[in-house]
Amino acid sequence: MSPKQRIDQQPAFVLHSWPWRETSLIVEVFSRDFGRVGLVAKGARRPQSALRGVLMAFQPLRVDWSGGGEIKTLVRAEWQGGQPLLQGRALLCAYYLNELLVRLSAREDPHPVLFEDYGSALADLARQTAAAPVLRRFELALLRELGYGAGLANDAQTGEIVDPAGRYVYIIEKGPVRATLDAAGQVVVSGQTLIDLAQNAFERPETLAQGKQLLRTLIHHYLGGQTLQSRRVLKEFQEL
Amino acid sequence: MSPSSLDELIEALRCLPGVGPKSAQRMAYHLLQRNQRGAARLSQALQRALEVLRHCERCNTFAESAVCSRCANPQRDPALLCVVEMPADLAMIEQTHAYNGMYYVLMGRLSPLDGIGPRELRLDRLIARAADPALREVILATNFTNEGEATAHMISDLLAARGVRTSRLSRGVPVGGELEHTDSGTIAQALIERRAL
Repeated sequence: MSPKQRIDQQPAFVLHSWPWRETSLIVEVFSRDFGRVGLVAKGARRPQSALRGVLMAFQPLRVDWSGGGEIKTLVRAEWQGGQPLLQGRALLCAYYLNELLVRLSAREDPHPVLFEDYGSALADLARQTAAAPVLRRFELALLRELGYGAGLANDAQTGEIVDPAGRYVYIIEKGPVRATLDAAGQVVVSGQTLIDLAQNAFERPETLAQGKQLLRTLIHHYLGGQTLQSRRVLKEFQEL
Repeated sequence: MSPSSLDELIEALRCLPGVGPKSAQRMAYHLLQRNQRGAARLSQALQRALEVLRHCERCNTFAESAVCSRCANPQRDPALLCVVEMPADLAMIEQTHAYNGMYYVLMGRLSPLDGIGPRELRLDRLIARAADPALREVILATNFTNEGEATAHMISDLLAARGVRTSRLSRGVPVGGELEHTDSGTIAQALIERRAL
């Protein structure tokens, strides 16, 4: 067990929360210096609780907590403001980001760079810009920060920069290799797409389309085949 | 060792929200030792509710007949349909005496991370209900939480595609509220959603 500690004024976002006992809440937060942390917010579900309007997902907060166990005790949470509430489709996309963080990152594994990426992804979604590049940029950042990011722009066999006009398949944990004719069933992307992804450039429609396919395959692999509920919900919605 | 019927009761009580093993034990001992009549009443009421109650065909709330008395009331305005998350929200709107239209109770809200989506909420039933030609407007009165907002967005998208007019409850500083004592999130949103006078 880690020693009992008190953390003050830690920048964080709420990822998910669920009711606990009669009036409390368990809140899963993504904090800047401690990564994902589980907190119990005592009395947060009481009608007069000051925490009620504060512990909302997708809003920048500063939180204090104490304790050394798996679940710590939330002492204080302050709303930082400056970001309008997410609405409409942006909100549904933001749930997807949260689910990725909940499923793929480990508790108390700090990722300060990813924290910044997450914050700017939410800000971009709130600004109502096109969602697809925002999602792809975050997926790439997530894989890179969690240590899953094999090189994108270098051929895994030759080590050289990929040929923009070439066709490649991506070998998980190795990198891209030239696609052979029997590449059926695998995601084939162009060299240019790989170069764009490595540079976070999403201006080309082909990069967006192929990048989506490629990143989906990679994320599916690292999730160990679990289905992402937020994606399933969005798909059902589109089919109605 | 305690008798198995006692264990079974304790285990059964744990299905209540927020009730763990300790509370369940306390409830079981109380019912059996201190209040056997109350226990009998509880058991009968539960049994009867399970037999009699179902969802109203029109508004989806609990009812004892196929269509609940509120939906069957000819005094209510069939042109308005107010969508709420839970029966408690419906009761709250009724208390205002400011609304005389119909209701639809979702019995939940969208929660993508918990796997609650349009299928679990049976939004197809709401779509069918909103196809009523007498209907002029659907008022989305889901909560102002992220889940409530997401639910409202999804429903309004689905209904707009079918040519149904939707509106959303407005939000802001409470009636009789002073800015000094209002939380900053509410004030920020009230500023963003300010209206012309």
